[in-house]
Amino acid sequence: MIPLSAYLVLSALLFCIGLYGVLTRRSAIVTLMSIDIMLNSANINFVAFSAYSSPFDLSGQVFALLAITTAAAEVAVGLAILLVVYRVKGRMNVRLMKELKW
Amino acid sequence: MMWVEWAWLIPVIPLVAFPFILFFGKKDPKEGGLLAVIAVGAAFVLSLLVVIDVTQGNLPAVAGENGHGEGGGAAFYESSTTWVGLPGMDRGLEVGVFVDHLTCLMLMVVSFIGWLVVIFSVGYMAHDDRKPRYYAEISLFIGVMLGLVIANNFLMLFIFWELVGLCSYLLIGFWYRKPEAAAAAKKAFLVTRVGDILFLVGLVVIYNYFGTLNFQEIQAQLATMLGEHALDVPMLTIMSLLLFGGAVGKSAQFPLHVWLPDAMEGPTTVSALIHAATMVNAGVYLVARGYFLFEHAPDALLVVAWIGAITAFLAASMALVQNDIKRVLAYSTVSQLGYMMLALGVGGYSASMFHLQNHAFFKALLFLGAGSVIHAMDTNDMRKMGGLHWKMKLTSLTMLVGVIAITGLGPLSGFWSKDEIILYVFKSGNWPLFVLAVATALMTAFYMFRLWFMTFAGKPRSDEVGHAHESPYVMAVPLVILAGFSIMTGLIGTPVSPQFQSFIRFGEHGEEAFDLTAGALMGLSLAVAWIGFGMAALFYYLRSANPANYVSAGAGKAIHTLLTQKYYLDHLYYGFAEKVVYAFTKLCDAFDIKVIDGAVNALGDGAVGAGSRWRKWTSGNVQHYAVGIVLGICMLLLLLRFALPALDDLLGGWPGLSSWHWWEGWGW
Repeated sequence: MIPLSAYLVLSALLFCIGLYGVLTRRSAIVTLMSIDIMLNSANINFVAFSAYSSPFDLSGQVFALLAITTAAAEVAVGLAILLVVYRVKGRMNVRLMKELKW
Repeated sequence: MMWVEWAWLIPVIPLVAFPFILFFGKKDPKEGGLLAVIAVGAAFVLSLLVVIDVTQGNLPAVAGENGHGEGGGAAFYESSTTWVGLPGMDRGLEVGVFVDHLTCLMLMVVSFIGWLVVIFSVGYMAHDDRKPRYYAEISLFIGVMLGLVIANNFLMLFIFWELVGLCSYLLIGFWYRKPEAAAAAKKAFLVTRVGDILFLVGLVVIYNYFGTLNFQEIQAQLATMLGEHALDVPMLTIMSLLLFGGAVGKSAQFPLHVWLPDAMEGPTTVSALIHAATMVNAGVYLVARGYFLFEHAPDALLVVAWIGAITAFLAASMALVQNDIKRVLAYSTVSQLGYMMLALGVGGYSASMFHLQNHAFFKALLFLGAGSVIHAMDTNDMRKMGGLHWKMKLTSLTMLVGVIAITGLGPLSGFWSKDEIILYVFKSGNWPLFVLAVATALMTAFYMFRLWFMTFAGKPRSDEVGHAHESPYVMAVPLVILAGFSIMTGLIGTPVSPQFQSFIRFGEHGEEAFDLTAGALMGLSLAVAWIGFGMAALFYYLRSANPANYVSAGAGKAIHTLLTQKYYLDHLYYGFAEKVVYAFTKLCDAFDIKVIDGAVNALGDGAVGAGSRWRKWTSGNVQHYAVGIVLGICMLLLLLRFALPALDDLLGGWPGLSSWHWWEGWGW
């Protein structure tokens, strides 16, 4: 049987990959994808803990489903924003979005 | 059915009429007048029924939703309901109705005279173009005054008290386009407010001490304390004086009397209402209602007596030199109110209320008579009148009845009550008070007959007299009714048959024998009144002496100036307002601008300045901020892991900062 720590290591690796993507990549699409990788790493944790701690209690798995739904909604909103950004700026580079500093 | 159970309706009818007249008055043929006459008339009829019930002893055995009312043996009716419940208080604040003999008297005076004034107004205000507003306000005024006298606790009394103040403001300033009227309204409101503050403080003190504001409960507690010899006399003195402070403002007693003469700027009917039925009686009523406090505080009573006597004397002396017919009457009101206070102060409770009742009738008569004259002449100045008797016989004769009643020249109402007050002052053994009271009686006779002679006797002194005409019936009839009452009301309280005194009394009524002292005093007050009459006739009717000769030089001139300048009290108050209040206001303004606004502006400028510096540290790049967040989380975890346990060790584990051992079980 695969030990719990294997799932956790996978989850941690995915999270770090996602974080790296968010912090370094310039394309806004890639940033969105990286965020989803981070969310899914958390989902792995949910499901793994749920299966190992109490196999008959599905609340962790339900929570993962909920997170997936939320992620889908987030992507929809994010893509809509990006579409508008593209229309205004003509490009998808996150480093051009500097309006936080006026 | 017992009418007394419907007593709560008495103030409610005119109060409900107020918005009706205000909004729908234009539909009424008299533009609100008819509605007001009906509403106040209904209140009067209901008052009459209630009073008949009370005099017949026709009272419910147990009344009141809280079951504390008593009927049967006690000659009062009380009914109340909780208005606001307060924690730690079994009864909360209540609204309720309390009807005893004193209430009956006030109900009759207020509703009946109020009604006659409203009827008179239909004629007097016929040419005014804002009648609905006038009738609505006058209905409100009478309604709140009825509510004031029917209240069963000090708080409710205070609320109506303030509403009376508001109504006086509205009505005195009814012709608000006239600057003097607007100023007089403000003056009346602000000066009485000085007294109201004292009254409010008094309420707090009373509530703090007794835990209730209900008249009956306070009285019961006082009776218990008296039985245990546990009366806190200094405390009661403070309460009494604070209540009296309110009365000083409302009843225009010295030194807060200055608003009443200026209040003449309103319509004359309003003056009649303020002087006879409503406003100024409220103060005297308050002292009478709170007499169960005053009776245990002899020092407070002495203050009441002295203030009353000084007011009576000063006001009478100022009335001597006025040429405005309404101002003479205004000062005479102040003076007569002083008499009432004086009587209360020396223990003449019945005498004071008796005088209040009689004064209400003859003062309403005099004011409405003056209104009739002003209506005919379009001026208040007595120097332009004269000879009006031949033009308006009815007004002239009814006014003469009023003048005789107030001066006590003959056995009309004022004679009996004033005589009784003087008797009480004499029996109190306080000679200065007695001298002031008698001197006031002398001056009263002089200035009232001066008024009558200058207005109605002699030759016309201006062309307007030629155009003057008698007033219409709607104005004349109330005058005749009031004249009848001014003649009659004294008879219910003569020494021979003191029915009034046994009806309105405080505690046991000591049967006063009509002895030699009383007879001598009656002779004295008659003599004084006739001397005043004689002097007035000498100066203003026979004209055998010219008053101007006496005031053109020397001491006479000095006194005359002092009186026409109203003892410089107005100057003093204006000076105080200008020098002290205004200076303080400017100081506050400077503090506001420099310190408070300064602090706020400095804070805002500081924030803007700090922001403009710190913005240089930021890039606006979202990824940089994300790095910051990640680094922050890492540092937080490290802090929890190392710094907090170290701090716990240092402090001996006391704050327990590291109780959440997040790293445990991870093998770190």
